[in-house]
Amino acid sequence: MRATAAAAARREAAARARAFAEADARALDGLVSVRPRQAVPRPQPVWDDAEMLVHEPAGERYRRLVLASSSIAHTALAGQFLMITVPPHAGDTILLPRPMAIHRRRPATADQPGTVELIYGVVGRGTRALAAVPVGGTLQVTGPLGRGFEFETGTRSALLIGRGVGICGVMGAAEDAQAAGIRTTMVLSGQRPEQLLGRADCAELGVRVIAVTDDDGSSDLVTLSAGLRAEFDGATPERTPPDVVMVCGAGVLARLAAELGAHWGVPVQASLEAHMACGLGYCHGCAAPVRTDASVEGPLVCADGPVFDARIPVD
Amino acid sequence: MVAVRADTEFPDARAAYAAAPGAATVDLSVRIGSLTLHTPVMPASGCFGPELGALIPVAELGAAVTKTVFGSARGGNPVHRLTEIPAGMVNSVGIPSRGPVGYLATLHPRYAALDVPTIISVGGHRPSEYAPVVAALGENGAAFELNVSCPNLDRNGTDIGSDPAAIREVVAAVRLVTDKPIIVKLPVLVASIADCARAAEEAGADAVCVANSIPAMPLDALTRRPILGNVIGGLSGPSIKPIVLRLVWLASRAVQIPVIACGGVETADDALDYFSVGASAVQVGTASFARPFAAVEVARGLQQRCRDAEVGTIRELLELDAAL
Ligand SMILES: Cc1cc2nc3c(=O)[nH]c(=O)nc-3n(C[C@H](O)[C@H](O)[C@H](O)COP(=O)(O)O)c2cc1C
Repeated sequence: MRATAAAAARREAAARARAFAEADARALDGLVSVRPRQAVPRPQPVWDDAEMLVHEPAGERYRRLVLASSSIAHTALAGQFLMITVPPHAGDTILLPRPMAIHRRRPATADQPGTVELIYGVVGRGTRALAAVPVGGTLQVTGPLGRGFEFETGTRSALLIGRGVGICGVMGAAEDAQAAGIRTTMVLSGQRPEQLLGRADCAELGVRVIAVTDDDGSSDLVTLSAGLRAEFDGATPERTPPDVVMVCGAGVLARLAAELGAHWGVPVQASLEAHMACGLGYCHGCAAPVRTDASVEGPLVCADGPVFDARIPVD
Repeated sequence: MVAVRADTEFPDARAAYAAAPGAATVDLSVRIGSLTLHTPVMPASGCFGPELGALIPVAELGAAVTKTVFGSARGGNPVHRLTEIPAGMVNSVGIPSRGPVGYLATLHPRYAALDVPTIISVGGHRPSEYAPVVAALGENGAAFELNVSCPNLDRNGTDIGSDPAAIREVVAAVRLVTDKPIIVKLPVLVASIADCARAAEEAGADAVCVANSIPAMPLDALTRRPILGNVIGGLSGPSIKPIVLRLVWLASRAVQIPVIACGGVETADDALDYFSVGASAVQVGTASFARPFAAVEVARGLQQRCRDAEVGTIRELLELDAAL
């Protein structure tokens, strides 16, 4: 009966993958748009041969990478990403670099180089090959890339929402919030408590954490939405709605954030993922899910995003 | 010229690579019609952009090649537009384009600032669409590369480039509107690459580029659904090199004009393979995504190989290898 069980497991995984992709596409349909001009100029991307200082498991599911690159650590903005060139592994050559969100930026000190921290899940050929690179090895990286999260001046409070490895996408915003004295709450969502990223980072940055998981049902969209509305119901000064919502990790979460934003009357910024080749804009590989006229090219996730405005469509 | 300048306070790897160009002591220049390229290495269309001007020493390349410009504005294909498979990538970007006017207004000034000749890639949905685009581009650009790997709407969508008569029609019409060098970039899936190359030559082309990416259809391993929003896309990268080597060999024997090889070039050795079967120049596409420096390294590698062998031309280098 083992073959039958394997076949059933495979069918179930395929159905889950399809359902997830379809739900995500539906959730993002008409949701995002390119944000108006940014106030802070984007740093010039560079490419660097970055030494790998740390490469270790992070939680049950992910791996943490700390790369030495003073230049990128110094210039990267919250929510920007890097393109990581993956060295060949066990005879397998990886052709395309992999986009990865910058989870933490730590500028150079007198005796330490600046570093960027990235977290990734081992999900395919590219990340399997990446997982084999030893500490002390170097990775070629291009960045910092894209348009990240931006706080309007005068922002006093923020709600950040991250799911899975998408938690890394918003952690840069938590760093900026701490530096600017913005009161911040972060929802950490994942399948199991053992997989949740970012608890230690939030503790370090003084960010209040709301942890939710699929295991206990707290990450369910309806439950989470109701919980957050109750949390920010205005009963006390700490419970007034946030001035901005920033989200990364799934289309359905971006939609949930946009609904909350509409409810509270505050802007929402959502970071998206896409398959990419160049990361700079010229390959046009990462069309953002924005409805456009058939003769007009829509925005690109790498160059116009990855962070977009998210608003519930009116039609 | 756009200098590659690394921040002095926080240097990055660009500094080391930009500072060690390896003197270009061997003359590897190549002529494409009236245009002389100082090195036979250039990027492939769609795999390069002016964004790279600040990342790599573009002046060490023979030319810049633009993404294909169509006559009318096009939006491009739905997501996903690209994916990686073992030894290749498949893209169905669908060539978003702002038309020649949009190209001249937004992109061309950035190419012009790169200080290498710009080869403008031009496309069309029927043979009659190419010449008006070239005419609209006017004096801009140093040469035109005609991307004929496009479905011909006059002929139920058969590739223009798989039909020697359609190639002739395209090239003859373009020849009437420009004196600049014309390169015809041929598709892979043709009955006779020799006939296609000859058609281009006879109609007045100055070079052929062999070849474009190869139509392919990747499926998701788990769901068995097409990965690409457009279902099919073009395969490129190392896996297509042996296929394109054969085509370059055949095309080189069929025509007198230079053959520019394009397909899976990652290293100077890949380029030398193509030169050994008759190519005069190479284009580097997919390899640049992982290593923005790839094309520059190919150009430097060719210089180095000639210097090491103490020869003055690639031809002599290949003769030495052949005499082994
Ligand atoms: C993302 C991408 C976009 C491309 N866009 C174009 C294009 O606009 N016009 C064109 O003639 N070829 C285009 N190509 C094909 C390449 O120029 C080249 O012919 C092909 O990729 C084979 O070379 P390679 O193996 O070195 O990549 C594109 C290829 C890729 C991967």
